[in-house]
Amino acid sequence: MQVDLDKTFELPGSANQGWTFLQDIRGVASCMPGAEITEQVDDSNYKGSVKAKIGPATMSFAGNIEIRSIDLDKRELQLVGKGQDSKGSSSATMDLTAWVTEEEGKVVLRGKASVTVTGKAASLGGRMMTQVADQILNQFGKNFCNNVAAMGEDEVAEQAREELAEQPKELNGFAFAWSVFTGWLRSLFGGKASS
Amino acid sequence: MTEQMDKETREAALQGMGCSRKRKEDARFIQGKGRYTDDIQMAGMLFADMVRSPYAHARIKSINKEKALALPGVHAVLTADDLKPLNLHWMPTLAGDVQAVLADEKVHFQYQEVAVVVADDRYIAADAVDLVEVEYEELPVLVDAHKAMDADAPVLREDLVGKMQGAHSERKHDNHIFNWQAGDKEATDRVFDNAEVVVSQDMYYHRVHPCPLETCGCVASFDKVNGHLTVYLTSQAPHVVRTVVSMLSGLPESKVRVISPDIGGGFGNKVGIYPGYVTAIVASIVLGVPVKWVEDRMENISTTAFARDYHMTGEIAADKDGIIKALRVNVLADHGAFDACADPSKFPAGLMHICTGSYDVPVAHLNVDGVYTNKAPGGVAYRCSFRVTEAVYVIERTMDVLAQKLGIDKAEIRRRNFIKSEQMPYKTCLGWEIDSGEYHSSLQKALDAVDYDGLRREQEEKRAKGELMGIGLVTFTEIVGAGPSRNCDILGIGMFDSAEIRVHPTGSAIARMGTITQGQGHQTTYAQIIATELGLPSEEIQIEEGDTDTAPYGLGTYGSRSTPVAGAATAVAARKIKAKAQKIAAHLLEVSEDDLEWEVDRFKVKGNPGQEKTMKEIAWAAYNNVPEGMEPGLEAVDYYDPPNFTYPYGIYLCVVDIDKQTGETSVRRFYALDDCGTRINPMIIDGQIHGGLNEGFAVAMGQEMPYDEQGNLLGNTLMDYFVPTFVETPKWETDFTVTPSPHHPLGAKGVAESPHVGSIPTFTSAVVDAFAHLGVTHLNMPHTAPRLWKTMQELGVK
Repeated sequence: MQVDLDKTFELPGSANQGWTFLQDIRGVASCMPGAEITEQVDDSNYKGSVKAKIGPATMSFAGNIEIRSIDLDKRELQLVGKGQDSKGSSSATMDLTAWVTEEEGKVVLRGKASVTVTGKAASLGGRMMTQVADQILNQFGKNFCNNVAAMGEDEVAEQAREELAEQPKELNGFAFAWSVFTGWLRSLFGGKASS
Repeated sequence: MTEQMDKETREAALQGMGCSRKRKEDARFIQGKGRYTDDIQMAGMLFADMVRSPYAHARIKSINKEKALALPGVHAVLTADDLKPLNLHWMPTLAGDVQAVLADEKVHFQYQEVAVVVADDRYIAADAVDLVEVEYEELPVLVDAHKAMDADAPVLREDLVGKMQGAHSERKHDNHIFNWQAGDKEATDRVFDNAEVVVSQDMYYHRVHPCPLETCGCVASFDKVNGHLTVYLTSQAPHVVRTVVSMLSGLPESKVRVISPDIGGGFGNKVGIYPGYVTAIVASIVLGVPVKWVEDRMENISTTAFARDYHMTGEIAADKDGIIKALRVNVLADHGAFDACADPSKFPAGLMHICTGSYDVPVAHLNVDGVYTNKAPGGVAYRCSFRVTEAVYVIERTMDVLAQKLGIDKAEIRRRNFIKSEQMPYKTCLGWEIDSGEYHSSLQKALDAVDYDGLRREQEEKRAKGELMGIGLVTFTEIVGAGPSRNCDILGIGMFDSAEIRVHPTGSAIARMGTITQGQGHQTTYAQIIATELGLPSEEIQIEEGDTDTAPYGLGTYGSRSTPVAGAATAVAARKIKAKAQKIAAHLLEVSEDDLEWEVDRFKVKGNPGQEKTMKEIAWAAYNNVPEGMEPGLEAVDYYDPPNFTYPYGIYLCVVDIDKQTGETSVRRFYALDDCGTRINPMIIDGQIHGGLNEGFAVAMGQEMPYDEQGNLLGNTLMDYFVPTFVETPKWETDFTVTPSPHHPLGAKGVAESPHVGSIPTFTSAVVDAFAHLGVTHLNMPHTAPRLWKTMQELGVK
């Protein structure tokens, strides 16, 4: 099961601030609900984990993140994340290219990702994958923006820090199911599935 | 009471053939008192569970069992390396291939068995499965059968590299299993080259699963003291399993006992031998305690025996009047990672060469190529007689396409091409001898019953209003009752079947059979056959099956073979008993055998009313007063090797309305006329037909096992996999004609699969017919609402 995603998030602050944060792998990982970096192996290799709670079941993916390239001129980062769930019944791979750029006077974070899932996660959750991945990335984008904003000292930064402190520590399947559902409903009535 | 009334009363009391006797099995089933494999409990029994691969194609780099073994209650974790010393890490398949019992260095399909955990209970076993750490290296995945023989296709079966001679033919690629042909290619091609009309239609018969209510499982119990192995198993062929277990384990067959207890539906799913069975048996032999393995629903749909996955092209050469001149069928068969099809040994594509159908086809050619892909092995006959479902689908679909091309009604084109009753028995150009059939009159009966012309007029009116109404028609001929040992064997054993009947002194009886019921109602119907043959009440006849220690050897129940083969054995065994009974009666009445005539339940002296002996009296005498020189007792056994298959047929008609907004298909009417020859129990026949139609509806309208490019099976839970309930199921109208089989002792032909085989193309025929005026000739199954909605979008239907 493969899903290709292309997302754009408008960032507060300057392109350099956004780029600075993008290079902080631990920081970036913390933007992903339920994800964390557990160990830095060397300059470009990390170990990490993602926990997702779907109803009564908890799926815990553990794996490696490899930074393939960092292009300072383009402010572009390429990484590959690969993980297997602790029960050995599913695995996931994400090939991500993210860059910070200025478009029409706005600073934006753009990400192109190709996510491949195998095993039970694909069999059981395949049909929801595009929507779920989309929602996860929306949450990621929001956290990322807050992290960049939090670099400042003003009121906006303070609010961003508060929001970050309140974010859920693991991926909650029910909450996601609900946002996927509402997103789908909106799309039915001609609105955008996600904002 | 007149003599006639007396005779009729006695006849009715027997509840023999032709009577809608209530099913003897139901009393225990409706009270929840059936005894299934998972109900078996034994002292000290352990449970096995499987570690399965999340990948469709990957190399196993390491397996770490330490954490699993450290869990309290875990007794063993077995991998291929542990089975190697016993040479049981691979096992032979029924199709002449080998299959990994536990993945040996590589996994070839998603959910493949990698290791087995044996623990105190199934919960500990499941927890321990999670603790087995397997490191994989992913390999390129092949799921598209059309790409299997590309030069750059990944090689799946490294164990076969360089072995270019397969079990059935030469292999032309590492992913090629076999090429198999029937008929005369040159002569067929010649007719096609010069034909007035040629039609050709590609179609994909999708991958489905029989999905019986009860999944597969076993309890293996090895007694280390006397070396006996007992296996309770969900098997449609317990005797064959015993032979295979003996061959694999080296235990003498006399020390292996296989018992099939009650089975919650088989539909072909329970014919094969699965890694779960083998590992449970090995674990029991090694540990010396009983070991139970029962798969869950996802394991069942994902790993034990899919059906179909045939990419077919049907071509007909005809004249302008629609008279068939030649048939050409080409098949690309996706067999998954191991060729584990359950077919008679000689036929790698089963009985696919019955694809000439009910029609007088002068010349034909069938070509089948089997290939490996990274999908689960199987290829079973899902409520079908070895690929006859595929054969019927391809011919019936192609007939519709021919009718459409020539603008001839689909009933008329069939009428023009039917084998005529005076041509019976009819030798088909692909080598079968269709024993009987009255196709023309049966078709007319069906058309009259539904007012076919009226339906066509209604369709015209609806089309004028822009509504979508479709009429499906199929006139199929099945081939069942495998089979004559000259054609059919499994592992070299001829496909006969058996019955052993013993009449007790007081006139009740027990019969043991080589078949095994899974819902067919054998305990009811076999007793009815004996009741009519011997004049003993069916209520007092006990039928036993499924225990290899007590039943005579038989090849089991699948392919609608029980009535055609074991039913015949029952009749012949009963007739042997009757012949002996006649001698005893003559002795008791002090007349010659020739002076006696049979009437319902007794022998009477011709022309001498009152001089008679009932079968019950004869039974008593058999144990104390037999003619000099005759051995006492009243029993017989028969191993019946059928002279031919039987050929039940049917005329099926379906009317659908398709919602233009949603693509939802509503089956307004389904009429099924079946001719299964002599009818033993009309109520059970109706029940079998309802069941078969339900499963046909399931396959045509919803069931599928789709794989994505990574080889993930998307649809292995009942959340996705369509099992229709009464909510979705249409109303069925059943009807019948009776054309007895001339070679079967009772004239019976078998029926349970006809409705499945016949209904599937009928649904497609109806759905396609709804769009026929828009130039559509075929739509692949399943005909779900989203797919039809897409079709309508493409066609611009508004």
